Amino acid sequence: MSELILQALYSGVLQGGSYALIALGLALVFGTMKVINLAHGELVLLAAYMAYMVESKLGLSPLFAIPLALVLVCTCAVLVYFLVSLIRKDRELNSLILTYGIGIILTNAVLLIWSADVRSTSSAWFQDAVVVGPFYSMRSELLFFVVASVLMAGLWWWLSRSWYGRAVRAVSSNRDAAKLMGINPRTTEIVSFVVAGILASFAGVAIFSYGVIQPAFGHALTVKAFIITVLAGIGSIPGVMVGGLLLGIAEALTVTLASSALQELVGMALFLLVLFLMPNGLFGAKARRG
Amino acid sequence: MDWNCIIRSKLGLAALALSLTAGVASAEELLVGAEIPLTGSLARVGSGMNEGISVAVEVFNKTNGKHTIKVITADDESAPAKAIAAVEKLAGQGVVAITGGYGSNNIGPASDAANKLGLPYITSGGVDDSLTERGIKTFFRINNTAGYRKAMVGLLADMKVKSASVIYSTKEATADLAKDVQKELTAQGMTVGMHAFDPAITDFKPIINKIRLQDKSEVILMAGYENDYVGILRAAKVLKPDVKAMIGVWSLATPKMVADFPDLMPSVYGTALLPFPAEFKSADGKLFADAYKKLYNKEPDYLGQFGYVQSMILFEAIARAADKGTLKKGGVVEELAKTDRETLIGRVRFNDKGDNINFVHRMGQHQNGKIAIVWPSDAATGKMNFPGVPW
Repeated sequence: MSELILQALYSGVLQGGSYALIALGLALVFGTMKVINLAHGELVLLAAYMAYMVESKLGLSPLFAIPLALVLVCTCAVLVYFLVSLIRKDRELNSLILTYGIGIILTNAVLLIWSADVRSTSSAWFQDAVVVGPFYSMRSELLFFVVASVLMAGLWWWLSRSWYGRAVRAVSSNRDAAKLMGINPRTTEIVSFVVAGILASFAGVAIFSYGVIQPAFGHALTVKAFIITVLAGIGSIPGVMVGGLLLGIAEALTVTLASSALQELVGMALFLLVLFLMPNGLFGAKARRG
Repeated sequence: MDWNCIIRSKLGLAALALSLTAGVASAEELLVGAEIPLTGSLARVGSGMNEGISVAVEVFNKTNGKHTIKVITADDESAPAKAIAAVEKLAGQGVVAITGGYGSNNIGPASDAANKLGLPYITSGGVDDSLTERGIKTFFRINNTAGYRKAMVGLLADMKVKSASVIYSTKEATADLAKDVQKELTAQGMTVGMHAFDPAITDFKPIINKIRLQDKSEVILMAGYENDYVGILRAAKVLKPDVKAMIGVWSLATPKMVADFPDLMPSVYGTALLPFPAEFKSADGKLFADAYKKLYNKEPDYLGQFGYVQSMILFEAIARAADKGTLKKGGVVEELAKTDRETLIGRVRFNDKGDNINFVHRMGQHQNGKIAIVWPSDAATGKMNFPGVPW
C-alpha cells in the first residue's frame, strides 16, 4: 500500500506542476485586470499544436516549437487584450462573454486547420521511463515539472523584484493609485497578457510532450486553470503552485484510495470547500494580510 | 392506315409519355439528413462517420441508376440539445430520413425527435442498450454492445487467461460494455478487477499501478477512446505491469493508430472489421474502398465503414420505398425493417427493436506496423502474438 501511495503522491506532484503552469497565466491576468480570460486554455492549446506542427512537419523535437509558440501565442494574447480593452462598460462581466467567444473561435480554427484527430508526440525520448526507487514517471513529465518550477520561481521573482513586476502588482492592488505613481496601467496590462502568453506557450509544449491534444481540449484546460486560480486566491503566485499541487495530489490519491471515476468530483469538491471556508482562496488578499 | 391503327399508335405514344413522366418523377433527388458531431468532443469520430456517409452517397448515386440521394449535413456540436435542433432543422428542409448520430446520450434525444417527426433514424454511433429498449419503431442500429462483448470475451477464451483488469471510461457506452464483459467473464469463473475513470483524466499511472501491485491480472482490457488508450498505454509502458496482453475496443486497431503511435501499438488488440492494409474481397467492399480513396486519399477506417454501411442500407430502403410509392407513408421504416443483406460489417438484419441481431465484431492485433485479424478463427488473417505487450 505504501508503494501505491508514494507513487500517487509523486504522480500528483508532477500533475500539479503541470496544472500550475497552465493556471499561472490565467491567474496573472485575473490578478492584474480582474479579467477571467476564458480563452486561456485555447492559447495553451495553440502552443501545443505548434509543437505538433514542428514535430510532424519539420521532424524536430517539440522543444524547438517554443520560439514559434511564443510569437504566435503572445500575439494572440495581445489581440485578446486589445479586444477586452475595447469594452467600456462592466468589463469584468462582459469580458467573460467576449473571451468565451474568442475561445470558441480559436477551437474551431484549430479544428479547421488540424482536424479533430488526437495528437501527441511520437518522440520516444519524451516517453521513456525515469525510475527513481518507487517513483515512476515519463521523462517529459519530469522535465516540464522542472521547467514549471523554474518559470514559477522566475515569475515570482519578476513580480516581487522587477519594476514591471511591481507595476503589475500595483495596478492589481489599486489602479488609480498606480497611475498617480507614474505607472501606465495599459502598458502594464499588455505586459501581463504577454507574460501569460509566454507561460501558455511553455504549458502547451509541455502538454503535447506528455499528454494528448484535441481541438475541444482547450475548454477543459481553462476550467482546470480557473479552479486553481480560485483555490490559490486572486493574484497569489505561490498560491497557484500550492493550489496546483493540492489538486494534483488530491486527484491522484482519489484514484489510488477510492476510484478514478471520482477524480474530477474530488477536484470540484475541494474547490467548493475552499470557497466555502476561505472565500478569498488559500492565499487570497485577506489571508495574506492576516 | 385505319382508325384502329391510329388510335393504337396514339395510345402507345401516350403510354410512353406517361411512363417517361413517371420515370422522371421517381428519379427525383431524394433528400437525406445527416446529423453528426463535426465540432465538440466527438468531432473526431463524427468526421470519420461523415466520410463514410459521403462515400455511400458517391457509390449509391453511381450504381443505383434510378434514384439519386442528396445528403444535407447538420452539425450537432456533440451536444444533446443541439442534436435535437439539428434533426428538427433537417426535417424542416424536407429530408425523408436521418443517418448519423454519435454518442448514446446524443442519439437518444435526437432519435426521439426524429420519431416525433416521423423520420426513420439509423446509426452506428451508440451502443447503449437503452436506445433499442425504448420501443421506437423508426430507430435502427447496425452495431451494439453485445457484438463488442462477444468479440472481447471470445478472444479471452482463446487466450485461456484466468484474470483480467478492466479500465473503462465512465461514459455510457464504455461503462455498459465494461460491465457486460465483467458479468460474462465472472460467470465463466474469471477474476475481474474493475477500474472506472472519468473521461477528463490524463494521468493513468495511479490506475496502472493498482493493477500492477494489487490486481496482478493476466490481461488489461481497455474500454475508452483514442486519447484514453494513448494515456493508458503510456502509463503501462512506464510502469510495465506483468500482464500478457493489452486489449481495447473501438478506435484502437486502426490505420491511424498505426501511423500516429507506432511505439505504443505493438501487440495491442482492438476491435477491427478488416486487417490493415485493408483487403476488400466483395464487390461492395471494392466499390467502397475505391470511392473512399478517391474522396479522401487514405486508407478507410472503421468509422468510415460503419457510416457507409448504415447509409447504404438507408439509401436502398428509401429507393425501394420510392419505387413502391410509400415514401411519405412510412415505407422507409417498413423497408428498413425488411433489410437482410451481407455488408462490410457482416450480415445485417434488424429485430423488432431496430437492433442488428447478427452483429459480431472481430478482434485485430497490431503486428509489425500492420493489423492482423486474430479472432474469430474463421476470419483470421494472422496468428495471435500471445503473450505480447508493447514494452
